[in-house]
Formats: sequence, structure tokens, C-alpha cells
Amino acid sequence: MTHRSVNTAIATGIVLLLVAGMLLPVIYMLLMSFRTGTDIVQNPLGLPATWEWGNYLSAWQKMNYLRSVANSLVVTIAVTLLVSVLGALAAYPLARRTNRLARSIILLMALALATPAFVTITPIYVMFAALGLLDSYVGIILAFTALNLPLAVFFYTSFITTIPVELEEAARLDGCSPFQVFWHVVRPLLGPATATLSLFVMLTVWNDFTYPLLLLTDPDMMTVTVSVYRFVGNYNIRPEDLFPAAVLGSLPLIVLFIFFQRRILEGVTAGAMK
Amino acid sequence: MKIRHDIAFVLPAMVVVAVFFVYPLLLALNLSFTDSEGFANYNYVGLENYQRIFTRARHLNAIWVTLAFTLIVVVAQTVLGLLFALALQRLPAIRNLCRAALFLPAMLSFVVVGYVWQFIYSPFSGGLNAVLGAMGLESLQSAWLGQPVSALICVAVAHVWMFTGYTAAIFLAGFAAIPADLTDAARLDGARGWQRFRHIELPLLAPAMTVNVVLATIGTLKTFELPFIMVRGGPDGATRTLGLQIIETLFGQYRFGLASALSIVLLVVIVAIAWVQNSYLRAREDYSR
Repeated sequence: MTHRSVNTAIATGIVLLLVAGMLLPVIYMLLMSFRTGTDIVQNPLGLPATWEWGNYLSAWQKMNYLRSVANSLVVTIAVTLLVSVLGALAAYPLARRTNRLARSIILLMALALATPAFVTITPIYVMFAALGLLDSYVGIILAFTALNLPLAVFFYTSFITTIPVELEEAARLDGCSPFQVFWHVVRPLLGPATATLSLFVMLTVWNDFTYPLLLLTDPDMMTVTVSVYRFVGNYNIRPEDLFPAAVLGSLPLIVLFIFFQRRILEGVTAGAMK
Repeated sequence: MKIRHDIAFVLPAMVVVAVFFVYPLLLALNLSFTDSEGFANYNYVGLENYQRIFTRARHLNAIWVTLAFTLIVVVAQTVLGLLFALALQRLPAIRNLCRAALFLPAMLSFVVVGYVWQFIYSPFSGGLNAVLGAMGLESLQSAWLGQPVSALICVAVAHVWMFTGYTAAIFLAGFAAIPADLTDAARLDGARGWQRFRHIELPLLAPAMTVNVVLATIGTLKTFELPFIMVRGGPDGATRTLGLQIIETLFGQYRFGLASALSIVLLVVIVAIAWVQNSYLRAREDYSR
């Protein structure tokens, strides 16, 4: 081996070790989830003496796991669909026009994008309480949609701008209505943008803690993040509850990440570099 | 395409944004000038809420905690993310694998990250003290989340751990955008290692730097999740950020007026800092071109 390739091998080894070090908390979480509380107290760093699948069974039942996964799925899928459909529709004229109305709408979306959810959470809470939308799918889905829509509008607008306008003109000459042009010519080209955007929105909505914590209090309505939070609690935290709940809470997104890793990373960086 | 067609396309999105963003924003501004507590009637009290925020130690402390937490997180996360990206840029064989592995913590929720790290820091059976004990460093063992300064730093460490992979991924995209002929030319001129990074790559990473710093700053300024889950803003308010202060004022005390004023202050702080950063970093991008 040459001098250079030896150096590369050493550097590779060091970097792999450092990256593995960054994953230690995840490995710790997995190993601890199979141990009993007394075992952890007696030997904090030990491997599982026996593999306590019972930890998972108990967490599964007490967290009402399937129900909370179902709640998260309903909310996440509905928000993702609404955000991409409404976002794409709104982006189409915004990408093709430069008049004052289009510019003011873009400006409004930019303001909405920069405003943290905190600023509007108090009035939304008051509004939902008055309209009976607390503890309802409809309420939280609409609130999340509004939170993510500005990003979708920006994302689709910049994407549609790169599509040549000639195709649409040809379709229009063939007598298509504006909606038909959008549906038959523009929409089929939005696939890659929609995939990237959807994964990003799914990630944000699934993991969000603020909205479901404040807008959903009925145990039957809770999403996965809130149900992990309520189950583990704040006082006298039991490790045999904490770790399996953390693993179960993370599992759906980790599976998603394993399958769509490349696309998710692409989306995160593409969204940021625009 | 006529204007009424345009409006038909934009209308559904605009209705959602108007009802769930514009209207609540105006309502928050209005509430911030009232003494609203709960759903009963309220009175207008002028600037009293704002006056309270800037004169009471509790609120001023939250502003300082937010700024200190953000400074620690943004600096550590940017440096660490840049170092990982630089290393992986030089090692294409393991680049994609490590990029994905580093990003994994960002897929976990704040709740999971908060609980797991809280247990790692636990003084009795937590992982950190156990590791120190196993290395014979018992003197360094500590109640990590029990003292004000160490609690703030420990929560920041968990936050940085969560998002370093995100920062590294954006820097790697920045590296990929550097034209190959530029780095080749630099190599022919004899620029190696540190020189190549300092004088060629770092200036060309300016756009990625802007994105990373601004995104991390905005994200951290408004955070409340980890301080809330790990230490409830304690000990003694040492980790009570503005975001957490808003949540407590709102859902602990139902003081809607004060909570709205706090959120308007948070919005102004975020917009001001993001604006200054953005204009400074953009100017730096032009300079390096």
C-alpha cells in the first residue's frame, strides 16, 4: 500500500468511529429497552441480562400504541395531501404571473413562513375552543395545513417556473380550459417535486409536539409523540417504560427513513438551498 | 387565462392561510394589548404587558436564556457539521453511509430525544456518569441537569446532537456545488489540506453557511421542546426559553394577553436577528465571489 492509501484508511477508520459515537445514544436506547429497571440501576452500562420483551408489551398496551399510530397516520396523510394539492394549485398562477396580486400573495406566504407557530397558537386555541375544534381531526389537520402550506407554495412555484410554458400554450390552442391544462399538462410533471415535499411535510407533522400537545387532550385522539410524552410522564420516570416507548415512538419514521433515505436527504438539502 | 381563473386556483390555499394565519396573527396582536385571562371578557391595558416583559426579571431572564442557548447551539452545530462534512467530502467511499447515519437523530422526535438524553444525564443510573465511573473519572461525575449552567449546556448538547447531521448534509450539498475544475486548479497550484479548505472551499461554501446559520438560528430561537421535556425550564429558570415561557403563561396560567405579548416579542427578536444575519452573510457571499 502506498503512503497515501494508508492515510486514507486511517482517516476512514477515525471518521467511522466518530460517526458510530454519534449513534451511541440510539444504540443505548435500543439496548436499554430490553432491560428491567432493577437491572439498569444495578449495572447502568450492562447488556440485557435477559431480553425483556414484556417491556414492549406493556408499553404497547399502556400507550394505546395502535390507536396513536392510527391518529398520527390520519393527521399526517391528510395534511400531506391537502398541502400538496392546495400548494400546487396556488403555485400554478403564481409561477406564471408577475402582476401585483401575485407578488403580494408571495410576500404574505414569506411572512407566514417566517412566523413561528407560537405567535398564532394562542388565538388558534381560543378560536378552536369557541368552534368546538379542540380534540378533533378537522381542527388539527387544518392548523397543520396552514402551517405547512407557505413552504409548499414556494416549493411548487420555483419548480413550475422551470417547466417550459409552450406545452401549456399548445394544450390551450387545442381548446383545454385552464383547469384542464393544469390537470393534464402541469400536474403529471410535478411528481418528483411532490415526492420530495411530501416526505418533508410528513416528517415535520409526524414529529411535531406543540400542536398535538395543546390542541388534543383526549387520550383517544393523541398522536404518537404526545402519547409517548403522556405515558412516560415527568416524575419517577421508569426506564423500563421510557426506552421501549421511545423505540416504539421512533419506529415508524426510522422505517420510512430506511426506505426513502436518499429522497429525504435530497428533500432536506434541496428545500434549504433554494 | 383570465384573472378569475387565477383566483380560482389560489383561493382554496388563501382561505386556509387567511383563517389560520392572518386572522390569528391580527388577533394575537390585539390580545397582546389586553388583560385577557381565559375566555371571559377582557379590557384593553395599552402597553402594560410589554412593560411587564421588559421590567420583570422572570421575562428578561427568559430572553437571555433564549439568546445564550441559541448562541451555544448555532456555533457548536455549525462547527461540528462543517467538520463532519469536510471529512466526508475527502472520503467518498463512506460519504453516503455516514451522511445517513448522522442524519438519523433528526428523524427522532423531540420527545424521544429529550427523554433518552434526560436518562443519559441521570445522576443515579444514567449512562454518562456510568461511563465516567468505568473510566476511573468519578471526580467528574455530576448531577448534570441539577445545576443552572451545566443544565443549559447539557440540553444544548442534546439539541446539537439531534441536528448536526442536518447541518452536515447541507454543507455536503454545498461542497458538491463547488466546480471540480476550481479545486483541480488549486491542487495543481499546490494548495493542499488546510490551505485548500481555508482559501478555496470555505469561501465557496458561503451560501451553505448562510442557509445553515439562519436555519439553525431561527429553529433554536423558537425552541421549547427539549428544555420543557428534559428539565421543565429548571433548575431555577436556567433553561426557560421564551418559547417555554409562552407555553407556561398560556397553558399553565391561561394569561392569554401576556402570552400574546411574549409571542410578539419573540417574533420581533426572530425577524430582527434573521434579518441582520441574512444581510451580513449574503454580503459575505458576494464578497467571496
